[in-house]
Order: sequence, then C-alpha cells, then structure tokens
Amino acid sequence: MLIFSVFKTLTDQRVTVELKNDLSITGTLKSVDQFLNIRLDAIEVSDQARHPHMMAVKNCFIRGSVVRYVQLPAEHVDTQLLEDATRREAASQTKR
Amino acid sequence: MDTSAGIQEPFDLIRLSLSERVFVKLRGDRELTGILHAYDGHMNLILSEVEETIMLVDGADSGPSGQGIVNVTKRKMEMLFVRGDGVILVSPPSRT
Amino acid sequence: MGDTPPPPEATPPPPPPVTSGSPTDFLKNVVGKRVVVRLTSGVDYRGVLSCLDGYMNIALEQTEEHVNGIVTNRYGDAFIRGNNVLYISAAEPL
Repeated sequence: MLIFSVFKTLTDQRVTVELKNDLSITGTLKSVDQFLNIRLDAIEVSDQARHPHMMAVKNCFIRGSVVRYVQLPAEHVDTQLLEDATRREAASQTKR
Repeated sequence: MDTSAGIQEPFDLIRLSLSERVFVKLRGDRELTGILHAYDGHMNLILSEVEETIMLVDGADSGPSGQGIVNVTKRKMEMLFVRGDGVILVSPPSRT
Repeated sequence: MGDTPPPPEATPPPPPPVTSGSPTDFLKNVVGKRVVVRLTSGVDYRGVLSCLDGYMNIALEQTEEHVNGIVTNRYGDAFIRGNNVLYISAAEPL
C-alpha cells in the first residue's frame, strides 16, 4: 500500500519504466493501481532502433508484474517521509 | 553492540537498514547498491544513489569454476523503485 | 459359544517414534544454528540462521555465498527472499 501511495504522489511526473524484457519506456505517469499497473502518456522508448514497433505508440498500460525498475524523479521524492512511513507500516504489520 | 539482538523476523533486518546503503542481489545476474528509503512485504524497494552492476554471463557456463562472466556493465540512477519479485538477497552494510 | 473378542483398546497405539518431528519443529530447532540454504538457482548460502517467517524469508548471519563450491561473497547479515529458497539444511548437530 505504501509504494502504491508513493506512485500516486508522482502522477504527472516523468518516469522511466524498465521492463523485465529490457524495454525501457519513459513517459508521464498518468495513473497507477494497487497492483502497481502503470499508465504512461507521451512515451519515448530509449532504444528506438531495437524496438522499432514502439515508434507509433504514444501511450501505454504496463502490467505491474512485468516491471523490473521504475526510475523516479528524485526531486519529487521525500526520502525522510518515505522512511517514516515505512517504519509505520512495518510496525502495523508485525502487530497484526 | 550486537545488531542481531533485536531481530525476531527477517524483515527486521531490512527495517534496521533504512537510510543505510544496502547491497541487493537480483534475478538476471544483476546487483545493486543504494540507500534504502522504503520497502514493503513483497520486498518492493525504493533506493537512491543507486549503482547497478549487470553481469553478462557466457552461455557455456559449464566449467567447474563456474565463472562464465564475460562482461560487467555498471550504471548509476538517482532514485529507483525495484519490484520485489526480482529480489534474491538484501544485505545491510557490514558493521563488524 | 466361542470367546467374545476383547473390546477394542480405548487408547490408540502410540505413534511410531519420529526422529526429527514435523517440518515446523525442524525449523524451530535450527534457528540459531549453522545452516546451508540452497536457492533454486543452485547457489548455496552458509551461515547462522537468525530467523525466518512463513514465506521462508530468511535472515542469516556470517553468511558465505557458495557457487559451485567456491566462496563468491561474504555478508555480515543477509536477508533472502523466501520464494528463491529450495531447502534449508542443518550444518551442525541439532
């Protein structure tokens, strides 16, 4: 839930999603859901030559399970806030 | 100070590593080091000041030495979300 | 008339002696001991088992990573995500 919230705070920011098949897509984060499925707008594919079929694609939906990494805009991530929220979530999980 | 004293469950090890540089071993012969800011029960991670090491392993990985590594590439990323399903191992900084 | 058979025993026979108990008992006993954790990839981790949870997530101390019998890494502490675990084996008498 915590990571889901983080992604929600990053909507309308530019992110780079790297998939498990090595395809990297940079785009504007339009929405995210609890499975960390991601919708991107105004996308660019890093290695156009290797993925020519992506040239015409302007926006996409990415299934969460195929994501390896998402590169985030560091200036929009409050690391102190993240750590506090993580500790809080960890505490509530163990009490369960 | 015995750091293991307060560990009752494996995730405690990760919690105690928040805001520290950790080593992460991933599927696909990848390794990361970065400062840990957030994690959840799936081992989804958010790291900053990340250095990724990708080991390109030779297909003929049969010798008894087993070191079929042909090429190592590194890259740096400022802020990175890592999907938990790719995580094999996380190690906190050694404090011996 | 022949003898009536004796009534059946009220108490079932004791279970056969088990050397090691249930898997859960094994895991309980092995905490704090030296273990070998083998991953599905074939990599072994040798170290002292700090603790583990229901997903078989594992915390190890003084860990050595062995690939094909060769030490490839050492970690003071290591968290292993449970889905990668093939087995946990005791490396000292319980």
